[in-house]
Amino acid sequence: MISLCLPATLDSLDELGKYIMAATTEAGLDTKPAYGLRLAVDEIATNIITHGYEEAERAGDIAVSSELTDSSLTIVLEDTGIPFDPLSRTLPGEEELNMPLEERDIGGLGIFLVLKGVDNFSYEFSEGKNRNIFVMNRSGRG
Amino acid sequence: MTVETRIDGDNVIATVCGEIDGKTAPQVQTELLAALQEGKRLLLDMRGVTFLSSAGLRMLLLLYRQIAARKGKVVLVGVSEEIRDTMSMTGFINFFILADTLEAGLSALS
Repeated sequence: MISLCLPATLDSLDELGKYIMAATTEAGLDTKPAYGLRLAVDEIATNIITHGYEEAERAGDIAVSSELTDSSLTIVLEDTGIPFDPLSRTLPGEEELNMPLEERDIGGLGIFLVLKGVDNFSYEFSEGKNRNIFVMNRSGRG
Repeated sequence: MTVETRIDGDNVIATVCGEIDGKTAPQVQTELLAALQEGKRLLLDMRGVTFLSSAGLRMLLLLYRQIAARKGKVVLVGVSEEIRDTMSMTGFINFFILADTLEAGLSALS
């Protein structure tokens, strides 16, 4: 699929979601893995837009691209916001997830959903760009 | 994304349609909190909600806390299977009453 460059604003989430769903359809992913991927990409893109750009008072774009092979669908988000490795975030543990909602600290849930939603997630920073990489297997899932 | 609310005695009946993400969750939250000034029992009809991100979970958490503090009740109607999965893996599901139909939701609310 052709790659897409979107302004790094929350208004772009909608179009980004449509792009991901089109890619999952092309890859023939089932509904649940497709939803999981879409959710994962949405969570990371929201972080990039709010923390990487808006809070830092930066403007810029997010580029999204996809690569389809026989065995996998890979989505890559590329941005020039503040460098941030989502994997450096402390994830909520089992104990936290079972706490009453009155006492919960909701931080880290987004990244938790990313890791639950995709088969592989990785992050790299090079030449001034953040690259968030999401991989879904096309066969042998669940 | 649309939000409609109506007040029926102590009950707030709200219908949300569309996607609840980082963009739309604050708007849904504002409208629902405003409606909750009028009642402390909330039926949230989510049959038309096709997507819910962690921003949506944060909104549900806030609504839950507001309502729990006032000894009210929250019933979610028609939550999609994918959104149920998200709520299960994050431990949210146990704190909400879920109903499949509007009728079942209304009877769970009272």
